[in-house]
Amino acid sequence: MRRRDMSEIHPVLVIGGGPAGLKASADLAELGYDVVLVEKLGQLGGAPIRWGYKTLAPELRPTEEVMGPLIEYVEGNGNVRVMKNSVVEGATGGLGDFTVTVRNLMNGATESLKASAIIVATGFEHFDAKVDPRYGYGRNPDVIGIHELEGMLKEGRVVKRNGDPPKRIAFIFCVGSRDKSTNLWCCTVCCGVSIKQAIELKHLLKDADIYMIYMDIRTFGLWEKLYWKSMEEYGINYIRGRVGEIYAIGDKLLVKGEDTLVRGPFEVLFDMVVLAVGMEPGSGTAQVARALNLKVNEFGFLEPRHPNIHHDSGRDGIYLAGACVAPMSVEEALAEGSAAAMQVAKALRRLQRAVVK
Amino acid sequence: MERVELGKEEVEVKPDQWKLFERAVFAAKAKLTYGTVEEYLKMLERMKELERNGEITVFHVEEEFEPVTVKTLSGRRKRIPTVELWQHKSCGQCGHIPGYVTSLYWIMSQLGVPYVDDTNQTSCTAWNYYGSGTSNPVALTAVFLRNMHVAWERNAYPLIHCGTSYGDYKEVRFMAVMSRELRERVRQILKKIDRDIVIPEELVHYSEWLHVVRHRIAERKKYDVSNVSVAVHAACHTYKLMPEDYTYEDDVLDGVRPAPTTSVALALGARVVDYRNWYDCCGFGFRHILTEREISRSFAYFRKVQPIVRETGADVLLTHDTGCVTTLDKSQVVPLAHGYKETVPVMSDSQFAALAMGAHPFTVCQLHWHVSDWKELMTKMGIDWERRLEEHKRYVEEVKKRVREPEFIRSPGRRLRPRKDSRELSS
Amino acid sequence: MSQRKKKGEFIVERNYVDDQRIIEPEKLEIGGVDMSGRWGLLVLPRTIEDFDHSLHAMVKNHPRGRNIDRCWQCGNCTAACPVAEENPLFNPRYLIYIIKLGYKLEIEKFGNYVYFCGSCGRCSEVCPKDVDPSGVMEAIGTALRRKP
Ligand SMILES: Cc1cc2nc3c(=O)[nH]c(=O)nc-3n(C[C@H](O)[C@H](O)[C@H](O)COP(=O)(O)OP(=O)(O)OC[C@H]3O[C@@H](n4cnc5c(N)ncnc54)[C@H](O)[C@@H]3O)c2cc1C
Ligand code: SF4
Ligand code: SF4
Repeated sequence: MRRRDMSEIHPVLVIGGGPAGLKASADLAELGYDVVLVEKLGQLGGAPIRWGYKTLAPELRPTEEVMGPLIEYVEGNGNVRVMKNSVVEGATGGLGDFTVTVRNLMNGATESLKASAIIVATGFEHFDAKVDPRYGYGRNPDVIGIHELEGMLKEGRVVKRNGDPPKRIAFIFCVGSRDKSTNLWCCTVCCGVSIKQAIELKHLLKDADIYMIYMDIRTFGLWEKLYWKSMEEYGINYIRGRVGEIYAIGDKLLVKGEDTLVRGPFEVLFDMVVLAVGMEPGSGTAQVARALNLKVNEFGFLEPRHPNIHHDSGRDGIYLAGACVAPMSVEEALAEGSAAAMQVAKALRRLQRAVVK
Repeated sequence: MERVELGKEEVEVKPDQWKLFERAVFAAKAKLTYGTVEEYLKMLERMKELERNGEITVFHVEEEFEPVTVKTLSGRRKRIPTVELWQHKSCGQCGHIPGYVTSLYWIMSQLGVPYVDDTNQTSCTAWNYYGSGTSNPVALTAVFLRNMHVAWERNAYPLIHCGTSYGDYKEVRFMAVMSRELRERVRQILKKIDRDIVIPEELVHYSEWLHVVRHRIAERKKYDVSNVSVAVHAACHTYKLMPEDYTYEDDVLDGVRPAPTTSVALALGARVVDYRNWYDCCGFGFRHILTEREISRSFAYFRKVQPIVRETGADVLLTHDTGCVTTLDKSQVVPLAHGYKETVPVMSDSQFAALAMGAHPFTVCQLHWHVSDWKELMTKMGIDWERRLEEHKRYVEEVKKRVREPEFIRSPGRRLRPRKDSRELSS
Repeated sequence: MSQRKKKGEFIVERNYVDDQRIIEPEKLEIGGVDMSGRWGLLVLPRTIEDFDHSLHAMVKNHPRGRNIDRCWQCGNCTAACPVAEENPLFNPRYLIYIIKLGYKLEIEKFGNYVYFCGSCGRCSEVCPKDVDPSGVMEAIGTALRRKP
């Protein structure tokens, strides 16, 4: 029995160049497959690079340690054709023989490509805190999102709008998450991410007093360590409660809420408020769902055939990976990227055998 | 342009509409009050449908009422009638703050606005609504519809002074339109008093009227108020009950807080100050003023008056509801006796506007009934209050001694012709 | 702690107003009008306006209070506490919380209950985070006594 040559197989199309998409591309390239990676933005790396995460939870290792080698490998190994600023507009055919249209968002040009299989890894977007007006995000100076704080931490300069370093900082958890008026689900990472950032802030601003206003702390698995460390080693304060309103007074922020352990209201002045904004499927995932006619669930995330088996999109030859299926961490997104690559490799091998026979 | 997903549809929003829209989307998703904005709009559609089927009469804001269009929280456009207004008075207003309503009438006379001050108005729905558990939707709706019918009969558009009646009417209108059972039960009651269901196309609070005529008021300004700093308390019942339906304006308070009253102060050229407990209740709280007076009083002082004075040093606190003016004003006595120093004069937007237009501070605006000290404010505005107070005292003495006739804002007894015979409707 | 006359007796829903918030002067008048009694009463807000970490710092410096920051409010201590079983106002978990964040009114209300602690140490046996709550009770007691 003769094996069909790799070169006879169309490249695998990967949509989305975040942790999941990059990992899938790298693994497939390493196995010898050709890959076309279509990324909507002008850079690879997904959320961690776009927002400039300084370190990754739970161990506070520099983001570059994870993302650097991946991006380098994908861009340098020769098997991956990276198409930036591009989206997939449609696909016909099936496993082994897709015809896809890719549009370049900069010049509007479209290109028709052949693909043997498709991996969708279009990730998430941050909840836009403007939608929930109680925080005055976008209006109150010095109310920022965790994604914006990531960038500031990376620059090593966290200051208020007026240039002063903040002395008293509040983190508000579950902004746009677990709330029927916004998003119902838990974003799974922003507890851990907020705590990670609080620790980083303590390194940067030793005298800052930090208060975490939470309703539950969900630091899953080994991320729990972060939570313990933040209290025990960094003296970060935890207040169980919710915030109803933020009010700017001069260059301070009056945070009004309830401490649910005391069963009483608080109105305390802070210098800076960081909103732990959640994750939503976002417009990129909605676009790909339309273009490829994929099922989405009630929340707008891509819906796998079986809820426990993420990679199976329910359409032959199309696989799913990463935060476009459900909120998840980088480590999970990487694993899902690998898993999807494995499914593609398996399917293509089956196909090769079938063709040859 | 931003794209926003509302339910399943994607809508395009212009940046200048964004702020209003942002609240509306939130309100929609949060299912505020009786439902989403969509449900509210559906109710308005349903109202038209009932009208087409002849089930109800809708009292339209016709051109004859010279309406001005405003935007509501939901982005919907609302027509505010400006003339031929049926004054739906507030009991507490006339009792506690007589200058409130006289100032409003005085302004209308100055602007040449015809109106009806009917003696045939049913008493307050508000106490009914909040005072106890005694009331029920049928009774509330019957009171509402009776008043609306009386106004309609006079062919004058209802202008509701009381914030709570206004909020309550918006709610019961929703119920009356959406529930056939309620309508039928209320119709039985209305039949007994020879009336039927007339639902106004728009429910209008007097503060919305002041808002739309504010530039005409400003044109007639006699005193410069540019050095006056104004804090505004928006009444909960005007804008928190059915929040979709109150007036908002993009360039007033960012378009995310209600425009009336603030807009009037701004149009007059005053400086409006913001303060930490803007959204808080005045302390009245309906059942609290009845059963927990010490809580009402303490709340009004410690949560509103004191922070306002400490934080902003405002010269005056303006509001647009009976309960709010009363509570914020009268609650300052006890704290002052305790030795607290912070105090600020409190009055309605109509009183402030009338003062600026040169109304008599006592004969018209009746400030002598107010507890909080208005002298400094008068001086700041350039009003010679000592002379005016003497004038007023003399006037009262002379009226008492019957050497002088009382002055009326509008000669009593003027009535508009009925729009239609009510018997015609019920037959 | 006992009072001759209960403060603000006539307040209809008296139960939800803390004693500490009621200002009820014996004699009150303004402009010659007597306003003593019911009509002159004021109730201070119960809003927490600030954190005050001074007691917390004292507790942390106490040899048996140094682990207070580990507490995550799980409630194992109170669950095991024989005193809390009898007296709902003594709650080691809650005492730790209000001292840590420095909630003035709550400390006024509940601080003195710390001396109800029997030092039996059951809480310290069950605490999952090695806070040594029994020791922290001792440290809080000392801090409250010494607080200027
Ligand atoms: C503030 C913040 C901090 C975080 N910090 C950590 C951390 O410390 N540790 C950790 O483990 N996790 C962290 N996370 C979670 C982490 O960001 C996600 O797990 C991870 O980014 C998911 O990877 P992904 O590849 O699935 O999606 P993404 O990173 O979102 O990547 C998706 C990519 O697809 C592209 N795309 C989208 N739509 C299309 C389309 N239609 N066509 C083409 N391309 C498209 C996007 O531009 C993007 O580049 C954090 C999350 C937040 C919110
Ligand atoms: S991870 Fe934490 S902050 Fe984020 S939604 Fe879940 S519980 Fe809330
Ligand atoms: S058992 Fe320990 S961690 Fe839990 S509440 Fe008590 S002291 Fe805190």
